[in-house]
Amino acid sequence: MIEKEPVTKSGSASGVSVTTEEMIARIAPAREERIFLLLSIFIGVISGLLVVSFRMAIDWLSVLLLGSSPNPHQLRIVLIPAAAGLVIALLTRYVFPNVRGSGINQTKAALYINNGYISFRTVIGKFLLSALAIGSGHSLGPEDPSLQIGAGVASLISRRIGMSKEKLRIFAPIGAAAGLAAAFNAPISAILFVIEEVIGQWSAAVLGSIVLAAISSVVVARSFWGANPMFRIPPVTLRDSRELLAYAALGVFGGFASLIFAKSLSYLRPRLRRQPGWSQMLQPCLAGLLVGGIGYFGLPQVMGAGYGAMDQAMHAQFAWKMLLVLALFKIIATTLSFSSGTPGGMFAPTLFIGAMLGAAVGSFEKIYFPHLTGSIGSYALVGMGVLFAAFLRAPLTSVFMVLEVSGNYSIVLPVILANTIAYLISRILQPVPILEQFTHQDGLDLPSMEEIREESNLHLEDATQPVTVPVLQGSESIEDTVKSLAQYGEIKDIPVVLVHCPDGLWYAATRDELEALVAKPAGEISADPPEEHLALTLAEQLGPERTPVLFPDLPLSSALPHFQRWPLLPVTNRAMRGSLEGAVSLQDVLNRYQKR
Amino acid sequence: MTVETDELSSAKRKLIVRDAANFLGLIAVTAVLLVITLFLFRSFTAHRVELAQRWSARGQDALNQGRPDQAIVALRTALSYAPDERSYEMLLAQALGDAGHLDESYNYYLGLWETEPGDGFINLRLARLAAKKRDTQAAINYYRAAIYGTWEGDGTVRRREVRLELARYLISIRDNSSARTELLIAGGNNPNDVGVELTLADLLQQAGVPKDALNYYQKVLAQEPKNVTALAAAGRMEYESGNFEEAHHLLEEAAKQQESVGPREGVVPVDVSTMLANSTRILALSPSGPLSSGERVERILRARELAKKRFDDCNAQVSVASGLASPLQNLGSRWMAEGASLGRAALMKDPAAQDANVKLIFDTELQTSQICGAPTGDDALLLLLGRSPKTAGHSE
Repeated sequence: MIEKEPVTKSGSASGVSVTTEEMIARIAPAREERIFLLLSIFIGVISGLLVVSFRMAIDWLSVLLLGSSPNPHQLRIVLIPAAAGLVIALLTRYVFPNVRGSGINQTKAALYINNGYISFRTVIGKFLLSALAIGSGHSLGPEDPSLQIGAGVASLISRRIGMSKEKLRIFAPIGAAAGLAAAFNAPISAILFVIEEVIGQWSAAVLGSIVLAAISSVVVARSFWGANPMFRIPPVTLRDSRELLAYAALGVFGGFASLIFAKSLSYLRPRLRRQPGWSQMLQPCLAGLLVGGIGYFGLPQVMGAGYGAMDQAMHAQFAWKMLLVLALFKIIATTLSFSSGTPGGMFAPTLFIGAMLGAAVGSFEKIYFPHLTGSIGSYALVGMGVLFAAFLRAPLTSVFMVLEVSGNYSIVLPVILANTIAYLISRILQPVPILEQFTHQDGLDLPSMEEIREESNLHLEDATQPVTVPVLQGSESIEDTVKSLAQYGEIKDIPVVLVHCPDGLWYAATRDELEALVAKPAGEISADPPEEHLALTLAEQLGPERTPVLFPDLPLSSALPHFQRWPLLPVTNRAMRGSLEGAVSLQDVLNRYQKR
Repeated sequence: MTVETDELSSAKRKLIVRDAANFLGLIAVTAVLLVITLFLFRSFTAHRVELAQRWSARGQDALNQGRPDQAIVALRTALSYAPDERSYEMLLAQALGDAGHLDESYNYYLGLWETEPGDGFINLRLARLAAKKRDTQAAINYYRAAIYGTWEGDGTVRRREVRLELARYLISIRDNSSARTELLIAGGNNPNDVGVELTLADLLQQAGVPKDALNYYQKVLAQEPKNVTALAAAGRMEYESGNFEEAHHLLEEAAKQQESVGPREGVVPVDVSTMLANSTRILALSPSGPLSSGERVERILRARELAKKRFDDCNAQVSVASGLASPLQNLGSRWMAEGASLGRAALMKDPAAQDANVKLIFDTELQTSQICGAPTGDDALLLLLGRSPKTAGHSE
């Protein structure tokens, strides 16, 4: 469910009246720019503190509800997730209606639909219910809720300070980056994820603030948890380049595993959401019962975020068959928990599945090709990146996440190879990314970040045509110009001419301008006597104005603003000033866009 | 105009005051959040530490009580609360090994090894697990890495213990030559510790190098002449190598010391008592050594009588069984020769005949033992004498 921005009397999201906004713009035009960066730091710090508290709440609830050592055949492993599911369903329905889901799409919706608005109630609800869900053993993760909590904090603060609508919208991704960075203890990955998945493009306007907020939140988180990476990473090595084959195989397995995971979610989630209200109230409870059942009958590792099991897999504490079983049941458990509408994230389960698959491939190789294998931890790490790339479709973030989490650059080759393979398999077999599917299931039409990334931008060179209009030299006198024009026929047949001025720039003159220039008496154009007028150069007659300098590699849209003034735009070479590559008219541009 | 300027100034002031108030509010909220989070975090951390300690203690207890499966669960829980606690990791790896999860334990130690490849203890554990997994080369490599690795406490002693363990392992896989090398290196680094020398001697003996083993026992006896274990072991070795006189002396001394010190310091094994009795009898039977001519002839005659009887019995047994010509025919013709029936007086006069008789006696015992099986009684002792290089050399 996506929350709606409340409509205030003034029509502003912040509640600040338009007149006040106008007044502020008048008396302090640079105010917002000045406080923007400062606010980013505050958002980072507060998000960091909240995320630290959120993680503590999850751990505490876990110990409190499931006991300090949850193990199979303990009855409460089944009962607690079910009971928590019931409480969550009630609170979601009656108190916090906007907390369902992971938080990524909700943040995107806030950015693209609600002018960056996320209510305080949603932040509180997300914090409490996600902590309860994960702490009670539902197979979900804390990262995506942290992202939404951060975005909510940013929205709240920026509203409180009375920022303009434009800025309010920008603050949501800043907070999202801060929340995710604190949850991951990895600022670069968080920044990249927000750019790759939430904003969809690099934007210089917010990059500085995102970086600042992410770093502030990580500093806060590290002051509590320490500077160690999220996982205890064993030494990562690539002993033999032949091992890349094993990593490639991991990429293939990861691609198919992500496909199974995505297909399961895209099958079950809409079906459960179509059920009547009373049934939806029971879904989290039932999901909890089933996930608890998996734990009760021998696999408590799949419950909760699963960081402990990931750590164990990374340190080679499971046999490869067990690792595969864990990956499979994690897919089942997460599909159940997430599809039931229980609030919680997909990051941790994705990493869990990837770690198990990676460690399974590493362990298998260790047994059957012992001379090749580096540490199993390397495979587990690469596996995490593989699932991240294939399932969440964030290839760039996935590579940097592994590098950042491992703190080891030597793993970059396996990561790039495996992630690329998995990403391609996932793209081919599941063209619509899972997050986009969720938005469609929720009845929204948010921009697809993958499409935005891959959109081929048109350039001027795509519309540039050879010059067919007369080209005159600006250094010629009017008399010579008239003679030159004569070879092109009657002036009335010439709609526009290009004048190459002595300063190397161009002037596109319309027929009317041309006629006015050569018309007599010249006194209307110039105060000079007719003889002197004829002696003046064409460029001098045209005055200092010139057509804008355009190059073939500029975006096609960059020409559009100039057509109101100029009928034709010369396109010149970057290497040779004034050298003509061709020209574009408004019609050429429109034709090119329509041809697309 | 003035009114408008005043309005703008007033709005500006209000804006500044509002922004300042907002930022002060933000600072206050941040400070309050920080204090609350800090308080909760301290409590949270303390609780986790407590849980980790509680579970590790349970794990340790379970391990001590021989319940490694329970220890694994407890230690895994402890590690979930204190993931970087190396002592818990070590205990868990040990528990995994004790519970028979060799692969898991091996992998766990490997994980630890990767962070500290020079750690002597981890290398030793890996060596033991590799040995259990019958990965000989890995076991030897890890043993060697443990020897040259870092150790907490007395590194010299630990390294020597590991080297001795490596030697034991090498003996168990019948690589006696490498075992001997390791033992001699260990011995070279040993600062005259009797206990270690006894172990070295014992292992050298197991490695099939009795000469080196005996050297170490003698070294011990040079320091502690009344060491029962060394006396008994050295006596046994002398006995087994046919030096019955030295063996008798040592075994007798061992028995005497055993009686005087009681059962607390070393225990003379039962077979040593038998050896002592045998060596006493052998010395009584032996025709060599510092004997008077008459005594020597007496012993030869007594032994000849025993050997002849042994030959006759065996010869009859073989002939009846096969119905063919006896394989002892050659020996029989030697018994039929004149020298084999010389009397006391004749032997007294002829030392060469004495030696020929002695040789006939020992050859008889040797050949009949091969054909008719091991003898008993004095025949067995004569056979031992015959096999003894010292006696054999003397008799020739």
